[in-house]
Amino acid sequence: MSHPIRKMRNILRLALTDYFYEWQMSSCFILALAAVLAPMMILFALKFGIIGSMMEQLIEDPRNREIRPVGSGHYDPAWFSTVRAKPEVAFVIPRTRSLAATLQLKSDSAPRIIPAELIPTAEGEPLFHKNIAIPTGLRQIVLSESAARKLKVGVGDRVDGSLNRRHNGQRERVHVELTVVGITRLAAFARDGAFVPLDLIIATEDFLDGRAVPQLGWQGDPPLAGERSFPGFRLYASAIEHVAALRDGLAASGIEARTRAADIDIVQTMEQRLSAVFWFVAIIGLSGFSLSLGANLWANVDRKKRELSVLRLVGFRTSDIVWFPVLQALLTGVLGWLLASLIYLGVETSINRMLSGQAGVDSPICRLLPIHFEIALLFTVGAAVLAAALGGFRAARIQPSDGLREI
Amino acid sequence: MLIYHLRDVVMTRMAEGVEFRLTVPSLQISLGEKIALIGHSGCGKSTLLDILAMILRPTGVGAFRFRPEKESPPVDVAKAWAQRDLNFMGDLRKHRIGYVMQTGGLLPYLTVRDNINLSRQLLGMPEDGSVEALAKNLGIERHLDKHPELLSTGERQRVAIGRALAHHPSIVIADEPTASLDPIAARKIMALFVELVEEMQITVIIASHDWDHIKQLGLRRLAHRTSQNRAGTVTETKVTG
Repeated sequence: MSHPIRKMRNILRLALTDYFYEWQMSSCFILALAAVLAPMMILFALKFGIIGSMMEQLIEDPRNREIRPVGSGHYDPAWFSTVRAKPEVAFVIPRTRSLAATLQLKSDSAPRIIPAELIPTAEGEPLFHKNIAIPTGLRQIVLSESAARKLKVGVGDRVDGSLNRRHNGQRERVHVELTVVGITRLAAFARDGAFVPLDLIIATEDFLDGRAVPQLGWQGDPPLAGERSFPGFRLYASAIEHVAALRDGLAASGIEARTRAADIDIVQTMEQRLSAVFWFVAIIGLSGFSLSLGANLWANVDRKKRELSVLRLVGFRTSDIVWFPVLQALLTGVLGWLLASLIYLGVETSINRMLSGQAGVDSPICRLLPIHFEIALLFTVGAAVLAAALGGFRAARIQPSDGLREI
Repeated sequence: MLIYHLRDVVMTRMAEGVEFRLTVPSLQISLGEKIALIGHSGCGKSTLLDILAMILRPTGVGAFRFRPEKESPPVDVAKAWAQRDLNFMGDLRKHRIGYVMQTGGLLPYLTVRDNINLSRQLLGMPEDGSVEALAKNLGIERHLDKHPELLSTGERQRVAIGRALAHHPSIVIADEPTASLDPIAARKIMALFVELVEEMQITVIIASHDWDHIKQLGLRRLAHRTSQNRAGTVTETKVTG
């Protein structure tokens, strides 16, 4: 066995023997460490979980990216292509007059006729989940959850859409058979509604205005000549932070629009304040943690000064002596972290079980990522080893005879 | 053949306004000698022993040479101190010196066997039964697997003697090894100790406050004189031999 390996083995053996022989003292150090670390982890997990899910909600909810015009205007296709070209715009589509955008829906499985709001949609619809098909043509439809429930239909089923008008003094009613290609979740649209291609909405508006819709075989006056303009639009920014700029841009061109900016502001301010509170508490906690760990390990080295001096008396080198407290602190750090992690995981489970459902959020209130555990371990071991090494150097610097003669 | 050669070695300490000074104008100890350093407590015995064991740096050194074996030239300890080469002296201690303290000095977390074996283990010496043999000679073989806290003071001192001898050092330094024991046990252990070092042909320096204990053991007594100046501000002990 070569010399350095034998030496390291001797040091390791002696340090561990001491650590486990003094198991009561060692357990106290581990407990003391865990008692400070575990609450820090819980605090951070709560901050991370609560703010994280709030931010997630904020970012994920497309309604927070919507910019709605107030009143009606005249928006022609040229305006739409200009707006669509802006990089901050994720989605824009014309809206027809809202009175004209209603369709009576009926299915074979439900007795009632449901009047549904028609919402124009197209590729890139921000309110849809990725797995919902975009309706195309004139005969496809995506129902809101409440409409689908009342009609008792599912994806693939057919529903009958009908419209009536008074035209030249006569009541007229037309039907169009529609295939349900998707159903949106409640959060996307809470009322009875149907997402349909813009062409179908234009067709209903034309019909209600007394004109003919040849594609659907509906009779009436000849189609509108010239370019069609729309009274409104559905506009979504590509990200939350672009909402305010887009709204201001519209306002500059004389279009008053409404956004959820106030809500966003509230959440963002709250995030900042919660973060500030957290960091305030965290810095106090971390200082306390480092100090208590450092003081414990420092005092421990002091307590063992005589034993360390005995080791120097029998010929351990100064550099070897430092290894004793460092190895023991390393062990305390790792075991303390392990215990704190176990305590944390227990608390996490009970907090999440207690609060799940109440917050109305899918993501847990209290959570840590693996990287957070790793950072905690690194920080703990780093602080422990540093404190022990400083204490060890101090013990090694004094003359061995001084350490021996004390007491 | 001198194991120790010291000239003009001085150690000064201040305590409560009084200066304690230990001076060694000349000290020469031959290999294989048995030395007694007699004096009341506080006269500087421990200081001299610590200097000889190279665990205390003297404040002034004329010359300090240490020659633990005939085959190699003497080591210049004065130079090692000047260079603060603590590792060099640590290595010397590990191989060449055994130290018995007045009390304790055992590691509480090791068994008696591991305590005695500590230096041997450190030096990578084989497990050849010498620890057990030594324990038997010291009358503590039945305690080998116990921890020191379960032993009486006398038994602990026997373990400490065992540890100091187990790796066959060139010299064993003992600082009042029996001072904490009752007179009968003290005489017995001291006699056993001297007998063992004779048998193992190890040089020994024993400090004691009681010459009666050891005068019949055939040790050479180092002369020393303690004096105080008129104002009482300096206490000086001069050791020669």
